Amino acid sequence: MSLKVVVGIKWVPNTQAVRFDPKTGTLIREGVPSIVNPHDLDAVELALQLKERYGAKVTAISMAPPSAIKGLEHVIGMGIDDAILVSDRVFAGSDTLATSYVIAQTLKRIGDFDLALFGQETIDSSTAHIPAQVAGWLELPYMYYVDRVEEVDEKQRTVTVRRMLEDRLEWYQLKMPAILGVAMKSQKPRPVSIYNKLRVRMENPIQVWSNKELGLDPRCLGLKGSPTLVSKVTWTPEVPRKKQVIEGPPSEAVKKLVEKLCEEGVLPFEC
Amino acid sequence: METKFDVIVVGAGPAGASAAYTAAKRGLKVLLVERGRGAGSKQVFGGRVYAAPLREIYEGFDKEAPIHRWVRKERVSLVDGNRMVTVEYESDQAASFTTYLTQLTSWMVDRAVNAGAVFVDEVRVDSILRDGSGRVVGIDSGGERVYADIVIDAEGVNRLLLEKLGLVEKTRPSQVALGVKEVIKIGEDKINERFSVAPGEGVSWVLVGAVTGGMPGGAFIYTNKDTVSIGLVVYLETAVEMVEEPIHVMVEKLRTHPALGRLWADGDVMEYAARLTPESGYRYMPRKLAAHGLMVVGDAAGLLLNTGYTFRGVDYAALSGHMAGEAAVKALEQGDVGEENLRSLYEKPLLESFMVRDLRRHRGIEWFMSNPEFFKKYPALAAGVASKLFDLEGEAPTLLDALRSSAKEHGLSMFRLAMDMFRVVRKL
Repeated sequence: MSLKVVVGIKWVPNTQAVRFDPKTGTLIREGVPSIVNPHDLDAVELALQLKERYGAKVTAISMAPPSAIKGLEHVIGMGIDDAILVSDRVFAGSDTLATSYVIAQTLKRIGDFDLALFGQETIDSSTAHIPAQVAGWLELPYMYYVDRVEEVDEKQRTVTVRRMLEDRLEWYQLKMPAILGVAMKSQKPRPVSIYNKLRVRMENPIQVWSNKELGLDPRCLGLKGSPTLVSKVTWTPEVPRKKQVIEGPPSEAVKKLVEKLCEEGVLPFEC
Repeated sequence: METKFDVIVVGAGPAGASAAYTAAKRGLKVLLVERGRGAGSKQVFGGRVYAAPLREIYEGFDKEAPIHRWVRKERVSLVDGNRMVTVEYESDQAASFTTYLTQLTSWMVDRAVNAGAVFVDEVRVDSILRDGSGRVVGIDSGGERVYADIVIDAEGVNRLLLEKLGLVEKTRPSQVALGVKEVIKIGEDKINERFSVAPGEGVSWVLVGAVTGGMPGGAFIYTNKDTVSIGLVVYLETAVEMVEEPIHVMVEKLRTHPALGRLWADGDVMEYAARLTPESGYRYMPRKLAAHGLMVVGDAAGLLLNTGYTFRGVDYAALSGHMAGEAAVKALEQGDVGEENLRSLYEKPLLESFMVRDLRRHRGIEWFMSNPEFFKKYPALAAGVASKLFDLEGEAPTLLDALRSSAKEHGLSMFRLAMDMFRVVRKL
């Protein structure tokens, strides 16, 4: 039997396009398109390499509202085989504990996976909790900052991964099934291809599971199952720019610029 | 896996979506390919669409389409500094409506998909494939080939695919204009109040003169449901020579213009967008609009009408796409997708349609666009005349006196004035 890999995807608002409302301190999400969490695309790319090397079958999963279908279509466009959208109103408002519980139970229902890959963290919350907590729920080995899968030994049921830390590389061998957190920016995610996109339209590779399929206790889901409280959020205040344009040839303009910066007292030395 | 379609449409704008819709509705196997993410994600336009052609293509258009406001007021203003002379036409008829093009396009693509077309986004088409004898047989995307009997090119104003095929020359600055716009949210009630329109009714406003710093081109204002679209169109060639400040500064000046800014001063800028458009469609039309297995529609075919006071692109695009869709159906029925047959099924009726007749008739706009002083002197003249007539301190001049003295101030002889007026009437 061939290797079976699952990749977790989060559907996030494009934080580069999100603005803060300075009066209320909340996100202005109106008109902001959602995207696949960019760091998850590293995990997708690594999974696709396993598909190429070992003939792995790769399934993407996402716990999200129905609009996340677009994100799953995107990763199928990259070459993922099929996808499961885990979507139900009872999941809304889940913190990382409840979310990791749902994802762990989804993996359990999928059953026969060998590796589950996640991005290192998400751009909209940056907790990096999910892969670790999923491993915790399922009591499976877990390694994070993985930037390369060196070898999968299907007979011995082990995987050897490399992880990249600031000052060193480390190699680990894990028993499969295992959970991997893939280092962000460690891969070059491939573009969407037309035949993979055509598969989305012609083969219907996306299933939707609600809590009917999973049958989880509502007390562990959504707001009820979420002990985390966000007590305070602040953001970097916007500094108004003076927007001055200095005209003239560069040699003179630079002098004027330095003078101005001196006047403003922003240079770290005496002028 | 290799798949063959009856028709591949490249580009899911109004032209491509309509081509796909018409062909799919008539039972053809259609693939609609879009480079952007989602339908209409790369669309930009001024703000107004003429409805009649769309009603012809889409059943139930008025009821189902994302229409913001029916245009019941047309304004044209000549702007000189902080002064402007405005002509307003109000009617209980409305031939056009405002909308967001992204909404309208995704509605069209949804219709195409419901009719059976296969839509894929995020996919770039690198080239249109030809066989050894030059017949178009499909598309190439990142080295993957998809085949079809007919390819409909709806790639838009930037015609990279047609250039590769050698069907058009590289686009020159003199052929295109740059449009920039902002969408400002001020709320539905405030729009009704400030533009004095009823709910569901709106204003289309064209401004010429100081709004472009006297450069050939103009500004536009359209009222959407709860936002206002404002923007500028400048002609690239003259702009390159004459431009004195960045275009976003010009938009800023439009937004903060003393006579206009108060209409939306309390609003939030929601969106900023820019695009190239064909300057004068007629000159931008490719030598031929069909070849073996290929038809060209929409902006790529130069189908944009600019009369100076009216811009029509979206309905032309949709109608040309619809015509190409119908031609594809007929050609495949006849089993002949050769150049001659496609030209007689698509190009000939298109050239005889009101669209190309209008493009030809309004070629005179080119003359104005190459005469920058029109955009400086005449708005100033109009404002000067109005000032003499209305800013009274002593005696009240007659209209002719006001005109004569204002013309003199701007170095225009009455003869020159008469000649120019004659040209305006004849060419516009």
